[in-house]
Amino acid sequence: MDVTEILKSLTGRFPEAISEAIVESEIRARAYVDKDGVKEVCQYLKDSLQFDHLCVVCGVDYIKRNEIEVVYHIASYNHPVVLMLKAILPRENPEIESIVSVYWNSNWYERETYELYGIVFKNHPNLKPLILPEDMLGEWPLRKDYKGFPNKTARNLV
Amino acid sequence: MEERLEPNEMIIHLGPQHPMQPGPFRLNLRLKGETVVDADIELGYIHKGIEKILENKTYLQGITIVDRICYLVALVNEECFVGCVEKLLDIEPPERSKYIRVILEELTRIQSHLLGIGEFAEFIGFVSMFMYAIRERENVVGLIDMVTGARITHSYLKFGGVRDDLPDGFKEKTLSVLNGLKKEIDNFEQMFHTDRIYRERTVGVGVLTADAAKNLGVSGPVLRATGVPFDIRKNEPYLVYKDLDFKVCTETAGDCFARVQVRLNEIRESIYILEQCLDQIPEGPLFPENSLYGRRTPVMRVPAGEVFHRVEDPRGEMGMYMVSDGSDRPYRVKIRGPYYPTLQALPPLIIGTTVADVASISGSMDGCTSEADR
Amino acid sequence: MGEVKEQKTSTSDETSVEEVPGVITTTASAISDFLKKTKAQDLINWGRKNSMWFMTQPMGCCGVEMIAMGCAHYDTDRFGIIPRNSPRQADVMLISGYVTKKYLPALKRLWEQMPSPKWVIAIGDCSISGGPFYESYSTVQNIDEIFPIDVFVPGCPPRPEAMLQGFVELQEKIKAKKDLGTEY
Repeated sequence: MDVTEILKSLTGRFPEAISEAIVESEIRARAYVDKDGVKEVCQYLKDSLQFDHLCVVCGVDYIKRNEIEVVYHIASYNHPVVLMLKAILPRENPEIESIVSVYWNSNWYERETYELYGIVFKNHPNLKPLILPEDMLGEWPLRKDYKGFPNKTARNLV
Repeated sequence: MEERLEPNEMIIHLGPQHPMQPGPFRLNLRLKGETVVDADIELGYIHKGIEKILENKTYLQGITIVDRICYLVALVNEECFVGCVEKLLDIEPPERSKYIRVILEELTRIQSHLLGIGEFAEFIGFVSMFMYAIRERENVVGLIDMVTGARITHSYLKFGGVRDDLPDGFKEKTLSVLNGLKKEIDNFEQMFHTDRIYRERTVGVGVLTADAAKNLGVSGPVLRATGVPFDIRKNEPYLVYKDLDFKVCTETAGDCFARVQVRLNEIRESIYILEQCLDQIPEGPLFPENSLYGRRTPVMRVPAGEVFHRVEDPRGEMGMYMVSDGSDRPYRVKIRGPYYPTLQALPPLIIGTTVADVASISGSMDGCTSEADR
Repeated sequence: MGEVKEQKTSTSDETSVEEVPGVITTTASAISDFLKKTKAQDLINWGRKNSMWFMTQPMGCCGVEMIAMGCAHYDTDRFGIIPRNSPRQADVMLISGYVTKKYLPALKRLWEQMPSPKWVIAIGDCSISGGPFYESYSTVQNIDEIFPIDVFVPGCPPRPEAMLQGFVELQEKIKAKKDLGTEY
């Protein structure tokens, strides 16, 4: 499948939810997605455009803009195009729809993004910490204003 | 897992300490008799916060940190990180450097698969096989050591090239090691095919169909054992893989036996790739000419932008998403390890099997917990 | 003193074994001679130092080297150093990597499960001083305040030869020990 065709089909189907769709190269494309329409867009990508492989879900904290972005990289087992979808959330109480019902393996990625950034994924089957100890929940260590980062407890620091 | 148990049910915890899995994780199994009713995985026992550390290190310092994401495949991790930065800087290594990288990454693939096969054999009680595999692995690690000067954490790739050239006598030594390895792989295969106990522990155990595997999002040998020819080296060729002749190894059964068979075949393909590379490798500089980048990398400011780069790890698809804001440190690096989705797919696979098969299925995934935890 | 040496006597020429480098062979008469002129303490130490079974629990990069060390190529069995999977059967715990906040309770539990006398070896920079992850939010620093570490083996990761050297240093330490060493 050609990357321009994919973007044309996507923007034609969701004129409101998809914005700023750009072709970066033959195998890369990116677009912004509205935070309410993520699940429908993913469902359409999986069913109609052969995007059946979710690479990764992650968060990026843009502290200057006071925004958090959730970034989805969606690829396919059949063609080499990787589509990057971004959803912009406010830094206070970020919430977005979970896509576990579409891509099964987004389960752990969403749990990890939740505990590291504090992004709540609505309708997630089991939203609890995955890799951090329970008592660190609420510190959101990967946010840029996290205080505990250079850990000063090492005794033999110069 | 926390609701009341029925009278004949119990919960056992496997881990977090595992004798052979390189890295601790915890597997909680809810059993009814000997059958697994429910399974749950706890991660994070060796979570180091690599993504946060990378944001606070310069790009050059970052190379030493990404080595330690998964220490079995350090060079492939470096390739992914360096590839991201090279895409952002818009530089390309010269031909000789690309060949050296391919040679070292295929050697890494061989040693990782050998350790994976050996570990799996150890998991199901075939300890002598473990010793055979490690014996062969030492020779391959010795070759990598000869070039990079380290056994498992190398810091060998640089932006736009590699740190050192191949030493004298590398080709002859490599060919002799590979010739010995070919015979050993045939031996291993014969052992696996004829051992009745081994076949009973693996054939038909942990069967994954192609549709289920795609749905679970796995990649690498676990996916290829189900018959899906998904390989980043073919789908999205990087370095010089599009000039090289190799095939994607697949099996159709999708059970533990097929996964080990895929790894054995991939070692053979890697040997074939290595022989081609050693024949074809051109002479030339290690770094692009008329550029700032060389063995002594300057203080770098990488142009602002975002990139997602994928490489083929021995365990599957490895990707990195890097955001740069124009300073000398990355703004955000997200590491997409191949073992993370594979480990996630473990509970659906082991539910319904018996406890004895859990070790077999888990071992056939060729785990590296460190990369899942990061 | 305190060491069993191979003694070749003229009467045991036909039973004497071939010399293998790195392997100490003992005969019954040598042990008997040794028992006559030694203290019980030396005997106990000799026994302990020649059967150090270590617990395999790979925790990081050093764990891979630890696996390689226990296997055929480096062959620690010739020193009586044998990998064991259960803490109940182990004498030496290797802290082979970064200790995180989440793993520390489990590691303490493993240490408590080991029977005395027991020793700890800290392998790699991560367990000695934090290594490359000294500023991480998730790892625990200053491991030597938590476990009574006997030998430090630096390196990131140390080569298997260095780990073997660490074990040899521990043997020296055990040989010089004066108490019964049952309490920790």
